Amino acid sequence: MDIKTNTLESVETRIQKAIDKAHASQDKLNAVVSFIDPCEQIENLKAIDKSAPLYGVPMALKDNINTKGILTTASSRILDNYVPVYDATIVKKLQQAGAISIAKASMDELGMGGTNKNAYRGEVHNAWDTSRISGGSSGGSAVLVASGVVPFAIGTDTGDSVRKPAAFNGVIGMKPTYGRISRYGIIPYASSLDHVGYFTTAIEDAALLLEVLAGRDDQDMTSSYRKVETYASNINADISGKKIAIIDNVQEGVEDSEIKANFQALMDKLVARGAIVEHIRFQDNLMQALFPTYYILANAEATANHSNLDGIRFGMREDGESVEDVMIHSRTKGFSSYVRKRFVAGSYSLFVENQEKVFRKAQKVRRLIVEEVQKTLDNYDVIIASASGNIAPLSENSADEALSNESMVTENHMIIGNFGGFPSITIPTGFVKGMPIAINMSANAFDEQVLFNIGKAIEEETKLKGNDSEVKA
Amino acid sequence: METFSSEYFEKLAHDIMFEVSAQEVAELKEEFKVLCQQIDVLNEIDTEGVEEMIYPFEAPTTFLREDVVENVISQEEVFTNVKNRKAGHIHVPKVVK
Repeated sequence: MDIKTNTLESVETRIQKAIDKAHASQDKLNAVVSFIDPCEQIENLKAIDKSAPLYGVPMALKDNINTKGILTTASSRILDNYVPVYDATIVKKLQQAGAISIAKASMDELGMGGTNKNAYRGEVHNAWDTSRISGGSSGGSAVLVASGVVPFAIGTDTGDSVRKPAAFNGVIGMKPTYGRISRYGIIPYASSLDHVGYFTTAIEDAALLLEVLAGRDDQDMTSSYRKVETYASNINADISGKKIAIIDNVQEGVEDSEIKANFQALMDKLVARGAIVEHIRFQDNLMQALFPTYYILANAEATANHSNLDGIRFGMREDGESVEDVMIHSRTKGFSSYVRKRFVAGSYSLFVENQEKVFRKAQKVRRLIVEEVQKTLDNYDVIIASASGNIAPLSENSADEALSNESMVTENHMIIGNFGGFPSITIPTGFVKGMPIAINMSANAFDEQVLFNIGKAIEEETKLKGNDSEVKA
Repeated sequence: METFSSEYFEKLAHDIMFEVSAQEVAELKEEFKVLCQQIDVLNEIDTEGVEEMIYPFEAPTTFLREDVVENVISQEEVFTNVKNRKAGHIHVPKVVK
């Protein structure tokens, strides 16, 4: 359901409906970590102008976003009792725009994962088929939008943690340029790759949300001073002359004939609308290096970022004979086995003797990858590819992100957007075997508008505006 | 190929303040075989003369300024997430014995 449809009803009615739906779907989807009583927020609306862009619109927040007085666990046992004493900057911005948070949404523990199976309160299920994964790490947020509970939800994206679950659940997943949205008050994963992103069911909503969320924040030194544009009113679906580059390295890995056909049909439609669609190829060795580079950098940064989770000042504390014992016991019991193993990998690459050959090497390869992509974006408006070569996998067949020697370009190409900070959007394009499929597009830094413009053209072609599992049912 | 002892993984874990079980060590040994192969993928890429990329954009956004007191939280707020408190402090086991 898009925001405009949602706001046809009174504020009280739509908030109550969202809460009722969230509760009713919880047994089936397990998308929520905490339900939020909206009374105080509704009361606070009295001070907000009724013309505010999100006035009285219900929403969900990923559970790594600090919310004052509301449990914020990041789906980790070590934070299962943590109640922040402050709001993240984006929470304040959303409140000022009139939005009402109704739930904190489940995620992979500390953002580390792509299935939402590794969450302390349990697996999140796909909105279209509960035997399949939601994808992660922002799985709860994706599912709450895809099941029609809320018209938008906030997530975070370090590898593809908004854009992949968006693809698996048939909703729009937007990750703007690095620094476009403040990250102050968000529990980090890997600071050089972390972005705030969000889920919607309409391109106009994605554009509107960026207007609300973007802008300089002195509390996040990486946030940009660039002017925030009026993205929504600037949307123009006339894409004649727009140059679109299909990433062949990614499409060659798509084996499903229906997904291939859907992609080609869409490209034909974009050509018919006047776009110039061409094929490009990135250096294969750099594409093969995408996931290992990400794995090394993300784990190393996570290891450093999460050194403050020690059970002393906040979080679950396990007793011990000494301060060191308390920390070791708290961290051993507080993190899942999966996360601890990834921290070990991070510790390995940060170890003095390995730093040059592992960590710094990965940082250098990152630069080469970004330069390679930038060369293409110097000549094209966007790069485009299937968001995944598959529909959402069955939960029983799905392991969490692990290194493998198999070619992983098709399933990991969206990491490019995090390496270079490029704005990147996933847009649903149809259904295969009853499950949603999607494309992903990325553009030059701070050119979100071109993504919304071409995205609007795609939305007009697919007619999937407002798509959710409730509408389809 | 580089091989790693169980003690090596235990040390890596201990350095970042947690323990790994015998089963986790066994899993790590397998996972690190793949990690080393993947590091080889990176080693095949010539990075001679390439600068590390630390952040996507390298425009500096820090400035020298006077210290300003901001974002202060009260003592009571600090204690809201603390398991043990005593005499206005966060209470932990004795450090000096």
